[in-house]
This record gives sequence, structure tokens and C-alpha cells, in this order.
Amino acid sequence: MNVMEAKGLTKTYNGQAGIRNVSLEIEEGMVYGFLGPNGAGKSTFVRTMLGLLNPTSGEGKILGKPIGTPESREKVGYLPELFRYPDWLTGRKLLESHAELCKVPIRERKKRIDEVVDLVGMTGRDKEKIKGYSKGMSQRIGLACALINDPKLIFLDEPTSALDPIGRKDVRDLMLHLKDQGKTIFLNSHLLNEVESVCDHVSIVHKSELIVQGKWRELMMVEAQVEIMSSAKAESTKLDFPDFVRNVERKEAVNGRSKALYQLKREEDIPRLVDFLANHKLPIYEVTPVIPHLEDVFMHWVNEKERRYVDHR
Amino acid sequence: MWTIAKLTFKEIVSKRIFLITMMMTAVFLILYGVAIHYAVKDWKSFGASTVDQMMQQQLFSSQLLSIGLYFSSFIVALLSILSSVSAIASEIDSHQIDTWLMRPITRTQFLFGKVIGLGGLLIAYAAFLFAGIIILHQGIGGEVVSLDFSISQIVSASATYMLQPLVLVTLGVMLSSRMTTLNAGIVLIILYGSAFIGGFVEQIGTIMEKGALVNIGIISSLIFPVDAMYRKMTVFLFDTADNPVSLAQQGMFASASAPNNVMILYTIMYGCIALAVAIILFRKRDV
Repeated sequence: MNVMEAKGLTKTYNGQAGIRNVSLEIEEGMVYGFLGPNGAGKSTFVRTMLGLLNPTSGEGKILGKPIGTPESREKVGYLPELFRYPDWLTGRKLLESHAELCKVPIRERKKRIDEVVDLVGMTGRDKEKIKGYSKGMSQRIGLACALINDPKLIFLDEPTSALDPIGRKDVRDLMLHLKDQGKTIFLNSHLLNEVESVCDHVSIVHKSELIVQGKWRELMMVEAQVEIMSSAKAESTKLDFPDFVRNVERKEAVNGRSKALYQLKREEDIPRLVDFLANHKLPIYEVTPVIPHLEDVFMHWVNEKERRYVDHR
Repeated sequence: MWTIAKLTFKEIVSKRIFLITMMMTAVFLILYGVAIHYAVKDWKSFGASTVDQMMQQQLFSSQLLSIGLYFSSFIVALLSILSSVSAIASEIDSHQIDTWLMRPITRTQFLFGKVIGLGGLLIAYAAFLFAGIIILHQGIGGEVVSLDFSISQIVSASATYMLQPLVLVTLGVMLSSRMTTLNAGIVLIILYGSAFIGGFVEQIGTIMEKGALVNIGIISSLIFPVDAMYRKMTVFLFDTADNPVSLAQQGMFASASAPNNVMILYTIMYGCIALAVAIILFRKRDV
């Protein structure tokens, strides 16, 4: 079942920036990373889905209900990037107000508040006024707010932006915990390692457009890399590599054996490369596929998009 | 809607400006009481034996009450303006509104919640001030300056008095749902000032029998009927506007030119239209 879907969703500001023509479907239980640099339009997309911004065109649904309707937000949690809560309230009063708005039954409220306060590590501090909270504590109470109604879909917009390394790890663990509970998480982030560590599906957004989306393992295979250990002879041998080899980077020799990192077009080119080296009488001792960094994947797709754009023109 | 209303109410009460307003209100009421006390003391020593003197005493007494009510309605108006122009705009600026509006409520419910919270508080404050002024005037004034009011006079006058903050709140929220806090504040203060000046111009025009001045006052009342409600309140309170020697027609703070009863209906409609426009604007607005 699709927990969330968007079809050609566009939100522009007087024809400028925003987000254009986004279509995606998110299944239940998925942790979906919406990845892109600052200003790419990630928050605009989330705010449009939540009805905070009116879409310029296109449509979207959350839990089968059209976006912009109160019904679509019944089982949704949201931690905004620019979180700000009424500082005259205590953390607990804030949670009580949100529980009331979400119609959490009165009998269950106290228990539920205690649960989420504990979950975000704010036990003992929830009765203090928000005025006295640090940025990290405000973000934690914001997370508690997002979870107060036991949501099925949780939008987290840069959820670790104000947290220290321990706090970031806590949030990552929390996301994994929520994933184990079968919650669907839509994670907006420009922090690649954050997305890499928790998301199973990723969309890459750049300059208001969704460039690519899919299982991130598949997106990672855009550029196969393999490290091959051969004899020292390989360094002195001049080879005319076939087209599928994009680049060869020599590494430091180990125990008299040479090592090189080969960038190939596709994963299927690895055995072809091994055949090619063997045909040139180079002994092979070790073949290690290298998983590229998400930064490289991100840049690959951005460059790919720009290349296609130039070709098209 | 009620959650938002409760939060709005509590938010204003928690603000320092509200505490300061309450302290200043106490100071104002004390000063007013002291003024009445000394006025009565002087009047007692002067005495009132002839009909002329008794009429003068009545006029003097109604003027004292009108001044108190006029100034108190001014305080209520200022508090209404200051609290309503930021109701939506400041929450949008700070993005506080995001986490409220993403909850399963409509924007109309949110806006109604704001108006109910603000309106409820300001009505309570206006009622307190109105009662305070009347009690001080009648209590401290004693037999010398107290005026005879029936319950129905007090009820209709206080209800009209409380219409003022309600209209200000609906218009303030309407402006706040479209403009920034500063812009909404400037527009509302100018409107209030125009109505305020227009009210005086109309009174002067009536006394001088200058139709043009009266018309200016009427137009300003149609643009923003707050001052007209104050004038109507004095008519209800002194209840003798048709009388050539009516107390309601005496002095700048009373109502030489009495607004028509239709004006009350117009004011209520004005508030309702402002609320409807606010809903339309706020629904369309990106936050």
C-alpha cells in the first residue's frame, strides 16, 4: 500500500525555484531519503505535501487522502527544519496541546506523553519551559511532538541539524527503532551519511527537480569500481584499456604487488576487465568491488542530469 | 478550534505586555477613583440647591463618567490592536504555525480559534474595565455624582462597549492573515485614528450645525465603526438621546450626534465580513 504519493507535484514562487514536477510513491514501512543540497526544494516539497503551501499544479495523497485536507494529516507526524515552539509553554504542555489537536483519547494522553518524552531522551526536562531549552532540546521535544499521535508517516526535515554527535546518533537509532515498528519515514536531508545509514530508498533533488529515485543500493551501482591486486609487472605494462574502463588510478604497491582502482561503466564490466587483464598475461591476486561513497553517487546523478540537459539543448 | 482558542488566551495572559497592561489598568482605576473622590468633595462644599445647579451637577457627573469610559475604551482598543495584528503574521514569520497547521484541523478552525481566544480575553477585559469605571463612579461618587441607571441600560451599554474590541479583533486578524505584523499594525492604527478623529469631527459638526463635518464623521464611521459604537454606548447608558437636554448629547466624550440603531447591525455585519475575508485570505495563503 502506498502511504504517500505525488503526481507531477509542482510548487513555484512566481514561477521561480520551489519544486517542479515531482512524482513518487512511498510504500508502508519504507525509510525514504529525500536528498539534495540546501535550497534544492526539499522543504518546499514536504510543506506542500502537508498543506502548508498550496501546490501550483499536480496532486498528492497521504494515506489515500488528497493533500491539503485535515484527513490526510490525521496519522502524520512532522518535525520542521525551522522548528520553533511557543516558548511560554512547558515541553509537556506543548505535547498535551498537540495530543488534544490529534484527538488522542484523554485517558491515553499521559501514558503517550511519557512514552514519547522517554523516547526522545527528555525525561525530567519536559516540565521546564521551552524558553529555557537549548536548540538540541527543542529539536528533541519537536521530535516528541511529531510522534505524539503514533503516526503512520513521519516527515523529518533535517532532524539532526541542531544536535551534537551523540544526539545525531540517538536520532538515527530512533529512526531505526521507528522503522522496526513499521513506521514510514520521509527523511529530508543534505547529510549524505545520515541518509546512507537509515534509508532504503532515496530520491536526489537538485535545483528544484527530482533527478533520480530508487533503492539506494541500485543507485549506488551507477559507477562500478573495482580494486585489483596484480603483479608489479602491471605498473610497467602499458595497456590500451577498452572503452568500458573509465579511469585507472594506481595505488601504493603492497608486498611487491601493484594495486589499482578501476572505474567502470557498469558492474557487469568487472568480469570483462578481469578477462582483459588475464588476456594480457597479468596475474591477478585479488579483486575487490568498491562501493562508491554517496557523495560520488550524488555528484554522478547531478552531472548526468546536467549532461542530459546540455545534450538536449 | 477550542485548543487553539485556549492556547491563544493563555499566550496573551502569559505575555509581559498583558501584565503591564493590568498594572497600568489598576493605576488608571485608582487615579479615576481618586479624581471622583476629590470632585465629590469639592462639589459637596459647593452644594446644589437650585434646578440649574442640579442640572449642572448631572452634566458634570455624566462628563466624569464619559471621560472614564472613553479612556478605558481607548485602552481596550490599543490592547485589541496590539494583540490581534500579530495573531497570525508573527506565527507565520517564526514558523510556529507550521506544527499547528499540519495537525488535522482546517485553517478556518485555526482562525476561529484565534478570534475566540483573543475576543474572549478582550471581552472579559472590557467588561472588567466597564464595570470598574461604573462601580467607582457610582460607589465613590455616592449621592452627589451617581446617576440613575436601569439594568437594561447597563446591559445594552456594556454589550455595545464590548462590540468595539470584537470588531477590532476581527479586522486585526483579517489584516494579520495577509500582512506582516508591522504593516497590519500600521493599517489598523490609522483606521482606528481615523474613526477616532472622525467621531470628534462629527460631534463638532453637529454642535456647529455643519453638514459637511457630520458627513465626514458618518463616512469615517462606515469605514471603521468603532467610535460609532462608543457614541452609541453613551446613548444607551444615558438613554435620553432624543431629549434636547439629554446627558448623552453633552460634551465631546458623549454623543451629540447619536448613531442610528442600524449602526449596531452594520458593526456586527462589518465584523462578520472581516472574519469571512480573513478566512478566504488565510486559506489561500502559503505559510
